[in-house]
Amino acid sequence: MEFLKTTRASRILLITNLLLSVTYFGYFTFMSPVGNPVLFGLLVVAGVYHLWQVLSYIHSVWPRKRHREFDATFTPAVGVFITVCGEPNDIVEETVIAAKAMDYPEFNIYILNDGFVANRDNWKEAEVLAKKHGIKCITRKTPGGAKAGNINHALSKTNEDFTVIFDADHVPKPHFLKAMMGYFVDERVAFVQSPQYYKNHDENMVTGGSWEQQALFFGAIMKGKDTADTAFMCGTNMILRRTAVIEAGGMCETSIAEDFLTSLLIHEKKWKSVYVDEVLAEGLAPEDFLSYYKQQFRWARGSLEVIFKYNPLFRRGLTMSQRLQYLSSAGFYLSGLIVLLNATLPLIYFFAGLEPLAIGTMSLALIFLPYMFVVLYTIQVTSNFSYTFRALSFSLSSFPIHCKAVWQILTGKKSGFVVTSKKKVSGNFGYLVTPHLVYIGLVIFGVLIGLLREGLTAAMVANIAWAVIYIAIFAPFISAAFEKTSNDAEVDKDEIAIAPVKKEARG
Amino acid sequence: MAWLKNFREPKQTRWWIVTLSLGLMMGFAIYFSLTIFSQTSLRLDEAQSLFQTNRDVLGILNLVAQDVHVPGYHILLHFWQLLFGNDIFAARMMSLVFFVALIPAVYALASYTFDRRVGLFAALLVTLSPFMDWYGSEARMYTMLALFTVLHQLAFMKLFKEGKSVHWVWFTLTAIAGMYTHYFFAFVILTEIFFYVFSRKEFAAPKAFRKFLISGAIVAAAIAPWIIYVVQLGTASNTQPSLNEPTSVDLFNTYAQFIFGFQVDGLNTIIVSLWPIVVLLAFFALQANRKTTREVIFFVMAAIVPVIGAFIISVTVRPFFQSRYLIVALPALMIFVAWVLSIYPTKVRRVLQTAFVIVMAGLFAVQAINPNTPVKEDYRDAVGYLSEKSTSQDVVVLTAPFTIYPTEYYYTGTAKVTTQPIWNRFEQGAVPAFNRDKLAEEVKQNTESYQTAWLMVSYDQGYNEDVRDYYDNNFERTSSKEFSKDLWVYSYKIRYDPALTIAD
Repeated sequence: MEFLKTTRASRILLITNLLLSVTYFGYFTFMSPVGNPVLFGLLVVAGVYHLWQVLSYIHSVWPRKRHREFDATFTPAVGVFITVCGEPNDIVEETVIAAKAMDYPEFNIYILNDGFVANRDNWKEAEVLAKKHGIKCITRKTPGGAKAGNINHALSKTNEDFTVIFDADHVPKPHFLKAMMGYFVDERVAFVQSPQYYKNHDENMVTGGSWEQQALFFGAIMKGKDTADTAFMCGTNMILRRTAVIEAGGMCETSIAEDFLTSLLIHEKKWKSVYVDEVLAEGLAPEDFLSYYKQQFRWARGSLEVIFKYNPLFRRGLTMSQRLQYLSSAGFYLSGLIVLLNATLPLIYFFAGLEPLAIGTMSLALIFLPYMFVVLYTIQVTSNFSYTFRALSFSLSSFPIHCKAVWQILTGKKSGFVVTSKKKVSGNFGYLVTPHLVYIGLVIFGVLIGLLREGLTAAMVANIAWAVIYIAIFAPFISAAFEKTSNDAEVDKDEIAIAPVKKEARG
Repeated sequence: MAWLKNFREPKQTRWWIVTLSLGLMMGFAIYFSLTIFSQTSLRLDEAQSLFQTNRDVLGILNLVAQDVHVPGYHILLHFWQLLFGNDIFAARMMSLVFFVALIPAVYALASYTFDRRVGLFAALLVTLSPFMDWYGSEARMYTMLALFTVLHQLAFMKLFKEGKSVHWVWFTLTAIAGMYTHYFFAFVILTEIFFYVFSRKEFAAPKAFRKFLISGAIVAAAIAPWIIYVVQLGTASNTQPSLNEPTSVDLFNTYAQFIFGFQVDGLNTIIVSLWPIVVLLAFFALQANRKTTREVIFFVMAAIVPVIGAFIISVTVRPFFQSRYLIVALPALMIFVAWVLSIYPTKVRRVLQTAFVIVMAGLFAVQAINPNTPVKEDYRDAVGYLSEKSTSQDVVVLTAPFTIYPTEYYYTGTAKVTTQPIWNRFEQGAVPAFNRDKLAEEVKQNTESYQTAWLMVSYDQGYNEDVRDYYDNNFERTSSKEFSKDLWVYSYKIRYDPALTIAD
């Protein structure tokens, strides 16, 4: 797996990156004449955000050595939880068969069946499947807590000291347990996480884009977090120490990003975590645009909740590294606001002739271009050249999702846990990129207005260029939204809207 | 051209396609040079080249040492002129030879480092570069400098990837040739030093550090006699043209000129203001498993270090930032662009390559056709006009003084030709500094016994406006005409008494 062969960035490169980032921010904040004060203020806010994210990334990938104890002979009994919530039977069965084939002395497999509480028509299939394969099925009858509730319920019904969590579609490799369990010889290790690899990443634009985003996270970022003692749970392909989870109060049921928040709660109890940089299970990426949209929204909403309700900066028990890493991970989803602001600046110029800075565009370029190129090069080097333009496009184009998540958090609207569909959902999802299409329309109209006002001035040309960049970035995302999908599953109209969920939606 | 077959990895481009393509590119360069660029007026720098090389070797060395250059090109041009004549067309043909040779050289460097496809596209970009085509027909050392740069970089790449003994010889000889072509070749060496520090562990050449030191010592020893001679003469610093401190605009203009040529201000503003598009091109380059190898880093550095280095020194020490001096960065830039475009997904690559070629070709045509192209210096028409209009009772005054070189090349009139400030280059050596207090006295000295003064103003050294204003305030201007950008001829009536005739 190329994405896991992360290259250790040289300290010189990272320091150069740091210096250029600070120089760029300092230049436009303190050394440039202010244009429109409001826009300037917003630009400074965006600058602070960019600086924060860059510094956090540098902190993540900074070369550090960390010794991990590993004992291959440490082989206690393990409970293997396969969380199921109405997924197609064939998908679950593939996971069950692979789990049974794991090479490990003693383990028990449980299907954690939440189909009943989620009102799935096929909820009984899981029980039949368990019977067929001679494994146990724990079907929850009392709803609550979504996936976290399902796991907590199962923990109360089982007694193994260690528990593996697999989503229904994540097929483990035979040596999964042998590669991971040895780390628990260190009695302070609470959980061990392995990458979430999408085996269907070549299927279409959505799976490709999803995977390419994941590659950076499970490559450079998680490996960096591991050395900073901040690797967090990612919901699947992980092993938990029962005592640690219980000490943290169980899997957190109050957040739709239960894995992220539970990790934080475990870390603040001084437990350790380990990230194993080897693909030990293969899962499925969302195969259609709607599923991707919902998955991103859930992650954004859940992560942002951590900032607003469990702000890591003010949690006791976390190290400074952990505070910074949790904050930056959750803060990533604020990027939607920054993208929205940056993309809007050209429009404001077209329609109103206002700019945040009153400096020549070439002076800015002299500082900005080296900064941008070194940032991109650093990402490429640290991700072993696995990061792609499509991943960038999907990240930046998700700004409406991120903005919506922020809005719901700020307005206190509740949102339910919606499991990412394991089957392609057919339909026209063009409406999900309405903001992007409106943006393109506004750019065209705005350019005409601007040209009529001042002609082809240097500032107009530069702003047109920026607008073109955003349109080019949005293009793969828009294209993915309109991509034809096969008619594998019907669209659940209630789910499309991603509206605040009144009932407990365990899809 | 059988040697082309030896270059790496076919990459689906067969050798005969490569040969044919390079032949067509070279034919393109020759055709447009002969039909357009070499037909333009002699320019100031070219006139200096002709003036300096029109003497024996020792005389050339003496003159060049007082200038801001090294003598390699001038000596070569001297012997070239002995063979092919000493007119401007013959001199320009020598530059064309270097330019045409540069095309396969760029191909060789890019295809050796990457693959044939990148090599061909890089060679095409160099061929279409309006900047290269301009200097491919200018009687100056710039295409020679570019060629030695590429040959030297090819040797350096071979040291990096293979490291055979013969490559050290090649590397050292091309370094000496480059250093004797232009001082700015030092930036090529500086880039290599940076790259070596950055990538020393990956050099294929064994004991590379020691051998680089030996090679550097040989190059230093080879250039030392010239440096000592210049220092002993001690006049070089007096002859430097007056240059302004560069700004960020100049920096971006340099790259814009490399790719899009010399364009009028309005068009150039649009071109450089499109700089954010570079960010988009960088985003497009984010492709899975398309690694930015050390070789790519080298070309990035080779395209940036000379320009940034010259910029920094010009801002902090003394201004000498001229885009033509920085031609050492152009081949590397084109190779880097060709590589970047090659890693894009096929459709994007084709669209962008086509767009790149169309835009470059279009601006190539604009530069060639547009009479207002900034670098065009129409001394031929201006001096022809002076020759025709002036009489033996008139005086022709040139400012800046060194424009005497192109003037005397074309001038066939009978009026006396002088300069402001007054400069006798055969006795005074360097151009005297402008002294505002002496202006009135010098103007009087130049004009007092003539009917009409023809003032030709070009190549502003910071005082052209003072001179023209003085004439405007003290004499009656009778005509004015601009021949190319900032090249003006004015006439002033000096005396109102009728000219003496024999009958009087």
